[in-house]
Amino acid sequence: MFKNHVKIAFRNLFRNKSYAIINIIGLAIGIASTALIFLWVEDELTFNNYFSNKEQLFKIKDRQTYDGKTYVFDATPGPLAKSIKTDIPGIKYAARCTWGDQLLFSVKEKNIYSKGNYVDPDFLKMLHLDFLKGNANTAFSQLNSIVLTEKNATKFFGSIDVIGKSIKINNSESYIVSGVIKDLPENTSFNFEWLAPFKIFENKNSWLKEWGDNSIITYVETEPNANLADINKKIEKYITTKSEGSTVFLSLYSMNRWRLYDNFDEQGKEIDGSVKYVRLFSIIAWIILFIACINFMNLATASSEKRAKEVGVKKALGSDKKTLVVQFLSESLIMAFVAATLAIIITYAVLSPFNNLIQKHLSVAIFSPLHIVALLCITLLCGIISGSYPAFYLSSFNPVAILKGSKSNTNSGAGLIRKGLVIVQFSVSVILIICTIIIYKQIQHVKNRDIGYTKEGLLYTTLKGKLGKDFGSVKNNLLKIPEVKNACLNNSALLQSNSSSGDFEWPGKDASKSVLIGMEYVSPEYISTAGFNLKAGRDFYPDALADSTNIIINEALADLISKRDVVGTQIYRHDGGTKYTIVGVVKDFLYNSMYSKARPLMLFSDASKANYLTMRVNTNKNLKATLSKIETVIKTHNPDYYFIDEQFDKLFKTEALISTLAGVFASLAIFISCLGLFGLASYIAERRAKEISIRKVLGASVQLLTVLLTKDFLKLVIIACLIAFPLAGWFMYNWLQDYEYHIKLNAWIFVFAACLAISIAIVTVSFKAIKTAIANPIKSLRSE
Amino acid sequence: MSVINITDLEKIYRTEEVETVALNKISFEIKEGEFVAIMGPSGCGKSTLLNILGLLDDLDGGSFKFNDIEVSDFNERKRADMRKHNIGFVFQSFNLIDELTVFENVELPLIYTGIATAERKKMVDKVLDKIQIAHRRNHYPQQLSGGQQQRVAVARAVVNKPKLILADEPTGNLDSRNGNDVMQLLTDLNEQGTTIIMVTRSEHDSRYTHRVINMLDGQIVTQNIKV
Ligand SMILES: Nc1ncnc2c1ncn2[C@@H]1O[C@H](COP(=O)(O)OP(=O)(O)OP(=O)(O)O)[C@@H](O)[C@H]1O
Ligand SMILES: [Mg+2]
Repeated sequence: MFKNHVKIAFRNLFRNKSYAIINIIGLAIGIASTALIFLWVEDELTFNNYFSNKEQLFKIKDRQTYDGKTYVFDATPGPLAKSIKTDIPGIKYAARCTWGDQLLFSVKEKNIYSKGNYVDPDFLKMLHLDFLKGNANTAFSQLNSIVLTEKNATKFFGSIDVIGKSIKINNSESYIVSGVIKDLPENTSFNFEWLAPFKIFENKNSWLKEWGDNSIITYVETEPNANLADINKKIEKYITTKSEGSTVFLSLYSMNRWRLYDNFDEQGKEIDGSVKYVRLFSIIAWIILFIACINFMNLATASSEKRAKEVGVKKALGSDKKTLVVQFLSESLIMAFVAATLAIIITYAVLSPFNNLIQKHLSVAIFSPLHIVALLCITLLCGIISGSYPAFYLSSFNPVAILKGSKSNTNSGAGLIRKGLVIVQFSVSVILIICTIIIYKQIQHVKNRDIGYTKEGLLYTTLKGKLGKDFGSVKNNLLKIPEVKNACLNNSALLQSNSSSGDFEWPGKDASKSVLIGMEYVSPEYISTAGFNLKAGRDFYPDALADSTNIIINEALADLISKRDVVGTQIYRHDGGTKYTIVGVVKDFLYNSMYSKARPLMLFSDASKANYLTMRVNTNKNLKATLSKIETVIKTHNPDYYFIDEQFDKLFKTEALISTLAGVFASLAIFISCLGLFGLASYIAERRAKEISIRKVLGASVQLLTVLLTKDFLKLVIIACLIAFPLAGWFMYNWLQDYEYHIKLNAWIFVFAACLAISIAIVTVSFKAIKTAIANPIKSLRSE
Repeated sequence: MSVINITDLEKIYRTEEVETVALNKISFEIKEGEFVAIMGPSGCGKSTLLNILGLLDDLDGGSFKFNDIEVSDFNERKRADMRKHNIGFVFQSFNLIDELTVFENVELPLIYTGIATAERKKMVDKVLDKIQIAHRRNHYPQQLSGGQQQRVAVARAVVNKPKLILADEPTGNLDSRNGNDVMQLLTDLNEQGTTIIMVTRSEHDSRYTHRVINMLDGQIVTQNIKV
């Protein structure tokens, strides 16, 4: 019996070859897209699963409220880790960790930049790092030791038997290799290539002893049975016990949330982070699959009218409803399985470009049990969804009505559902097109925003060795290079500002409200190098000492201080100390967030805290030659250059990816929908061939007939657009609210998307329509 | 004046295996106002001839003058234009459009010749009256008997007041009573001046006509003119 069904099913697929091909290709593309999306989703959802004690791992979040707005940071005070480990029961390990440092490693002739972190020994234990050489307990027992990843050790030394070997760092001190660990998989929150004792970092930075300086990350592992609520309660106001008057509150933040959440609203409440994209694309995956299934439903019910006679006869001969249902379902299931096979091939074929696009290294891993089960489920689901409607529709045909040949009654219901399904397909496609365009436009909008200075031609390198101390002579030599226009030192890379404080006061300020102000420590050439515009007052004097108690502020801060001229006003910390005099106001430029307005900022003429050397060069000239000239001055091989315009582009990585993916899936949705539309158009053209011939004999022109055949489909696509508009509009309106600086929804985007969908649909349908319209009418009239 | 004048008309069907000479150098003339029957055994080329005369198909050789205009070299568009203004068709299987009502079916040729709505309605009502089917104007073809359907088809063929009506076995699917109704309708039209060429296998029907052209294997055997 089963064999019989399979045989008939195959025969039917072969008989309706073109429909079968349309269905299978559509479904295969649908399954392949779903597979890719789900591989990505799986990777995201299993992020950090490498750590078996993930449930006990936390980082400490610090929240500060200014002016009713709560800001949540990862930055914590230096003494925190050690202190809570002894004070708070339930905390097993606590470790400090730097933000990530790029160091120049010199091993024999090799000079290689490598990024890593300075961490406390607890860090090695809480992550259960897998030591191939050495061990977690002794690795950091010497001060100048370093642990390398397997990959890095091999890169430097060609082997992992490297314990005791020495590496020169930044052309100055040397570290001794004390351990080699297995590389962490890509989908963890850590991407260090080396780890060195935090002590080294601590010894160089005395401010790490301050409770008032939130400057490094603190990781914590709790005891497995610890009461988290208890710990959180104890930790919340912990800093106030150490530093009186502090408004900094702490809390544990679970490793489970790092990747997909780690986003907070103005009340300091956690909101969705990239998890919203994971959800969104999962939904898109299902929708694309459904669109592909719709093709089968539509073509099956459409061609079923051709098969109505077969059904009628079979029923008259006594075949019951169940056998018919089984027969149609086996047809759709066979088709789904053929499509799934094709989908696996497609997935393998496009995986590497897809990986490139999303910057991951996913693998199909087809034999992983989870993947096999998932694929099987998706395939069965497709087969059943696609097959069930046609099966029940066809098997419920009334045999008497069919054999009498009154087809108009039988197909009106199915015709309506078919139209509905086409509308669904095109609505989805149009929504995706609109979203793609709007996301793209939003990115362009922000990218083209005036950020307050010219990004092009600005580049920086991290300060190493004596570069900072010798800046005077380095700068002179740099300026001897004709292409170098200017150079300065600064403590945060442009586009960012890492230090801020809410402690500052000025005359007339409401003392009960604190204002979070960014702080930049720079050399006097900073403003002229970056190209900021002065709005009032003066620039720093070339002699930094002359301005040691003077500051320059930005417009945003000036507006907060006074509506009038603020030059000459003094600013001071609420607990006393130096009084700084405002000598200049610089026009606002953007930092940290490119989507919001500029936040208040102070510039100090003090390059001792500088981390970066920033230069403005003439990019019209041969950049490579310029760079090699610069290298001879700063005396490093292959320094780590960062170009501001490139760094700027990187800020839009997520959005750019979302926009590309939305575009890709919009095209796929449109393509699959058009495959279905083409099939449906062919079928309709076939069914109406006689009518068209009669009309032609009666004098209808080819244009008229083409319009006649195309019109009905066009109506559907137009309805689809009308449904898509409000949905896409609502959806995108909400998305744009996430960005303070955003485009307005423009009717033309909608019109354009509609035109695009309509023209694609017209091209698809009219291909078949024109063919039918120009055919010789005698042929189809004869066949009657 | 001759409506149709053909000389040495040839039509050859070529398929992969065989070449069928459907019409083999046929010549004849049909004058305005004539009522002509074309007869002959199955497969002798009657429908082929009628399709060519109706400008639905092209010919492979010879000359074809319609209203004294050489049309053998007309392109698709010119033929369609000539067709819709001058020729009405009646088929054995009625060929009404199932999705349209009686009224709409009859109205169709007028739409294609570009006649205004109000005028159209008048013209359609008039023909429907004449064939005594006006009370069924809003019915669909499936709801009519075969005879009624064929009368609607005739109405559709004449609504445009064509010079020439081509009918391919118009009574072939009808019983004798309905067949006679249709033949009477055609005779009335002919008496009002319409030229009619009708393919038929029925001796009885041929008696309504002025002249019978007998065909065999793509050739004309006799063209007897009756009184
Ligand atoms: N499209 C075609 N391709 C090939 N051969 C054809 C085609 N149309 C007709 N023929 C052949 O041409 C010949 C004449 O066909 P035609 O339809 O004109 O005959 P007929 O006289 O109308 O026959 P009937 O009385 O059965 O309707 C036949 O041999 C037929 O097989
Ligand atoms: Mg015939």
